[in-house]
Amino acid sequence: MGLIRLVFFGFLVLSVTYFLISVYSRSVRREKLEYRWGEENPDSKDQAAREAFIEQGMHEYNTGIRPRLILLVYVVPTIIVAAIHVLTTY
Amino acid sequence: MMRKVKTTFFVLVFVLVGGLLHYVLPQHDIVRITSTEVIRTDFSAINRLFYAQADSGSAELGTRDLRLIYTEKKRTFLLGFIARDARQVMVYRNEDTGWIWPPYFKFDSSDLQAQAAAVSTSDGENWAVMTHYGWRNKYLSIYPNAIGIRAVDGPDVQIIPWFNIFFFIFAVVAFFFLRAMWRQFLERAVDPAVQSMGERVDAVGDAVSEKHGRLRRWLDTWRK
Repeated sequence: MGLIRLVFFGFLVLSVTYFLISVYSRSVRREKLEYRWGEENPDSKDQAAREAFIEQGMHEYNTGIRPRLILLVYVVPTIIVAAIHVLTTY
Repeated sequence: MMRKVKTTFFVLVFVLVGGLLHYVLPQHDIVRITSTEVIRTDFSAINRLFYAQADSGSAELGTRDLRLIYTEKKRTFLLGFIARDARQVMVYRNEDTGWIWPPYFKFDSSDLQAQAAAVSTSDGENWAVMTHYGWRNKYLSIYPNAIGIRAVDGPDVQIIPWFNIFFFIFAVVAFFFLRAMWRQFLERAVDPAVQSMGERVDAVGDAVSEKHGRLRRWLDTWRK
């Protein structure tokens, strides 16, 4: 019973963490793309091209490895819990 | 006034968080295990908080037996950072923490008790490093909970608190990460919204400040 409760609330907390980190990571990536556009095309007034550049970059980010890495939020605490349990019990 | 409130608030938070961490984080004592015992315990509303639950496979009742480990420990200064020669008796309880709180995931109380008994009856002075969390308080009748026992040859052992080192590194990293997240949120989500709202607010602003001024003047009449 205690284990079920731990898994349930642990999953809840980690899901919130996962959500927050993914939003943050995407936001940072978008900001970087905006800066890079500004550096490479300092005088450009072409909003559509800027938009396309950023969307392209976000697409590359979304299909890359980084969003998958955020799943470690679920993996690492599970390993830590298992490690603490094994270290205290055996 | 505002500063006093702020200072009080931060001191309170510091004391509460510090107290919680001091209670929950593992500490290591160098002890001489003298004997072990089981006593029947009736918890009160006051000290119930400072006990874990019944053994993880058993039913939870209002009264149960409690395993105790009697020791003589080496006293220290500064949470164990400075060693001393003085000794004092110390009693540890030995309870399963189970899957819940604090997160030690300990299920081996009986085995730990057997280990304590083995150390206490071995030849020599029965020195051991006792890993534990919690507080001893004579008025509340509460004991620190033993987590692990490692038999050692003598009292001169160098203890490196690896878990606490990593815990505090993680805490600092998590703090700065959260702060970065919060700032990013303000910069990307809140500021633009406030800016676009700002123009509308400006129009209303004059009327509000007029009203606010009147309210202020009325409030200030109380001072005279």
